[in-house]
Amino acid sequence: MTTISDIDPPTPDTAPASISTQVRGDHRGSWIPTWGMVTTRFMELRKRRGLMIALIAVNIGIPVVFLAVRLVSHAVDPKSYGAAGGYSIFTSLVAGFMYIFGFIVAAVVGCTAGSVDLTEGMFRHLVITGRSRLALYLARIPAGLAIVIAMVAIGYTIVCAVCVFAAPTQLNYNGVIVPQGLSRPALDSWAAAHADKVICNFNYNGPNPPPNVPCGNGNGPSGPTAVVKTPQGTVVPVHVTQAQIRAFAITMANQNYSDYRATFLVPSTSLMIDVGLWIALEATIGFTVGLGLASLMGQRTVPVILLIVLELILTPLFSRHIIPHLVNLERAIVGVAMVHIEPGGLPTPFGGGGPGGGQGGVTLIPESTLAASLVIAGWIVFWTAVGAWRMRTRDA
Amino acid sequence: MSTALLSDAVDGRAADSQWAVETHGLTKRFGENVAVNDVELLVPRGCAFGYLGPNGAGKTTLIRVLLGLTHADAGTMFLLGHAVPRHRDVALARVGAIVDEPRFHGHLTGRQNLQILAAAREPAAKGRIAPALERVGILHRGDDKVSKYSMGMRQRLGVAACLLGDPQLLILDEPMNGLDPAGMLDMRDMIKSLVSEGRTVVLSSHLLDEVERTCDAVAIVDRGTVIRQGPIAQLLAGSSFEVQVECSDPDRALSLLEATSFGAHVQVGPGGLAISLPEATERDAIAEINRVLVEGGIAVYRLQHIQASLEQWFLSVTSRLGASE
Repeated sequence: MTTISDIDPPTPDTAPASISTQVRGDHRGSWIPTWGMVTTRFMELRKRRGLMIALIAVNIGIPVVFLAVRLVSHAVDPKSYGAAGGYSIFTSLVAGFMYIFGFIVAAVVGCTAGSVDLTEGMFRHLVITGRSRLALYLARIPAGLAIVIAMVAIGYTIVCAVCVFAAPTQLNYNGVIVPQGLSRPALDSWAAAHADKVICNFNYNGPNPPPNVPCGNGNGPSGPTAVVKTPQGTVVPVHVTQAQIRAFAITMANQNYSDYRATFLVPSTSLMIDVGLWIALEATIGFTVGLGLASLMGQRTVPVILLIVLELILTPLFSRHIIPHLVNLERAIVGVAMVHIEPGGLPTPFGGGGPGGGQGGVTLIPESTLAASLVIAGWIVFWTAVGAWRMRTRDA
Repeated sequence: MSTALLSDAVDGRAADSQWAVETHGLTKRFGENVAVNDVELLVPRGCAFGYLGPNGAGKTTLIRVLLGLTHADAGTMFLLGHAVPRHRDVALARVGAIVDEPRFHGHLTGRQNLQILAAAREPAAKGRIAPALERVGILHRGDDKVSKYSMGMRQRLGVAACLLGDPQLLILDEPMNGLDPAGMLDMRDMIKSLVSEGRTVVLSSHLLDEVERTCDAVAIVDRGTVIRQGPIAQLLAGSSFEVQVECSDPDRALSLLEATSFGAHVQVGPGGLAISLPEATERDAIAEINRVLVEGGIAVYRLQHIQASLEQWFLSVTSRLGASE
């Protein structure tokens, strides 16, 4: 083989500085990303016009349009259309929309952040810099979360503001205007004074049906009567006195007190903070899982579809249906765990009642808060580790 | 160990090394296919080095292995004297490279793409963005989206990305692809200017003419194996050469020359005789040819020594290897 040691290097005009001089203090092998890496990664995501439009439309646009329509409707015809905001609007909008779509949008951003360097050919350029691949991966997390959390926060702040400042002035409980903040004795007194409204509208759970009292609109019977079961099991009508009607109303008020106490004109500050953190956690999970899954698969489309299936199909299915042999597997689904740490006062996402809200009484898979917290932490750590491992081992 | 300490530890060997790239027994397999086969490559510092081979010869794979884009199955390698992949962070700190077609984020401008890459390098790299764009001639388009760039402009942007690290070694994989003739001339000049600054440029290409004009030394790779390497002039000096003769009676000249012991292959063409002489033939053979023809009564009008081009040499080497199998 010919040797090439006799090549005379040309005399340099300007000799480049030695490596050791220039890389001293440049912690290129460190797994910690630099601030510049995070900010440029943020810029790369922020400049994706289509992604940002979708993000804004879902996280901000849809709630804003929904609330704006309610505001206008209420302003035009307040008798037909209720107040735009309030506690019930807050809970249904947050648990029914922002929670679910916040996850999906965050997952899309995560899948984008995890795959575009590879699909657009930048991964190779970045690896050639000599920078730690782990640092390249970790730089995506704060950058992506800064976008996702900011969007969720803006949308959520708007929802909170409308729900607080455009709340109804009177508390509507089961279709009845009830004074807010009554104690149990005070609610009993109020029920005794408005026995017909209570008997006609409040929920009742007892052996005998409520007395038949006039319920307004001329639909009620002519006189107060009740039906009772005889010891032989037959049902017979009996005449009831006003005192018996008031006593029955008080009984119903007592049964409804816990639900009444959880019904407010406006969401409380503590509830808004708790729910905000809960939604932010859900978005964080969506982003980190999307990032890890897309890094693992090296593409965006399939991971996005998988995560939408997880959120919209698998999680609602497994959160309600207990499969005896797979109950621990069901508990390990992050969406199921998230339902268990849902702040009290919210209906369960995906419909039905939850442990906190208690509306509807849907049975959830039993899971302790500690177990749910471990499942959530496990998902974040596992998918981050998987994505980082694939980033380190992938051919560029 | 921190990068700073690491660089101190390996700096002594790096400074001593006269090779910008050094590989020993480097092997990379894809299943049954051996893409890089026991490669021994030595690229001196401060020169333009061509890495030549037909399509599928394993040129890009070797570059990818060197840069840590994929792992090697066997062998050792050094970049600027630093063992890789062990000290790849230190080694790659002063390496710039284009591998395959340069691709970038299309929704960002050229400048923004360079900002992302500069952020992954040392802090000073950010200050080199504008000079790098200017040097490759696209400063005026630096704020346009890359999706609007032509192939040639993306190629230039790729070179600009290489320059962000103030590299001592540039590895350019087919840098002439997509460039028009003026762009190729610019690229050639730029490579020469980079070399004149003391940098090493490794040029992988199948454009033999461009390599011959640009490079000081070459290595020929075929089927994953480096079959020749050395300074171009030295390699060509050992090759066969051709003598073209324009004379009064080509047919009789052919008979006369075939009767000699030169071992020449003689053909009659429209321009006269084409005489191919074997390797290591002395230049005196040309005078001997002239003597034979003149003594044979043939008038010689022109007698020209044609040095084999790199392309001819490359084809002769590769075809000979193919024929030997």
